Amino acid sequence: MTRYRKAITYVPLAKWLTIEMATLIILSMFWFTESRLAGYSAFIGGLIFVIPNAYFAHRTFRYQGARQIHVAVGNMFRAESIKLALTAIFFAAVFTLMEPVHVPALLFTFAVMVVLGTALRWLIRPQPQR
Amino acid sequence: MEMVFIAAALIIGLGALGAGIGFGLLGGKLLESTARQPEMANQLQTKAFIMAGLLDAVPMIGVGIAMYLIFVVAG
Repeated sequence: MTRYRKAITYVPLAKWLTIEMATLIILSMFWFTESRLAGYSAFIGGLIFVIPNAYFAHRTFRYQGARQIHVAVGNMFRAESIKLALTAIFFAAVFTLMEPVHVPALLFTFAVMVVLGTALRWLIRPQPQR
Repeated sequence: MEMVFIAAALIIGLGALGAGIGFGLLGGKLLESTARQPEMANQLQTKAFIMAGLLDAVPMIGVGIAMYLIFVVAG
């Protein structure tokens, strides 16, 4: 009879956040050379992705294991809905409250961070620890 | 002006529809495969999480563009 030891998946959330923030600061510095407003807008655009994404990763792995997989799937659905809603709210807040905004810097940095976030999940995967 | 709102609604609506279908299939397959092989649950959850990142990339960018259309172009 085969015995299966329980494994807890370690989510490298801190590592992901560090790399994302470092890339975001580099991108903001790049846009800062064009104008101060562009650099600031680029930083805000990156944050609009980073904050909901961190919430999604945290909530998805709150429950683990075969016994609680139905709760984990439900949490994943809720986390995705909240992530999309948070993104829409943040964009709406930036476009209404932040009066001078450099839109190309904001949207470009946001799109780059979306691609980077997906690539980071692929490259630095959550590891099961025994 | 109304066309801008229709465009934004189409972007958000179709993006949400695609993400909803994708997440439904992903969650269903995750439950099904975990029921078949419970010892693989953690690995399957990790793979589902990676695929979720691929799934929601396009709707996220769509939401950004739609908000730009609503609050900057039309506003």
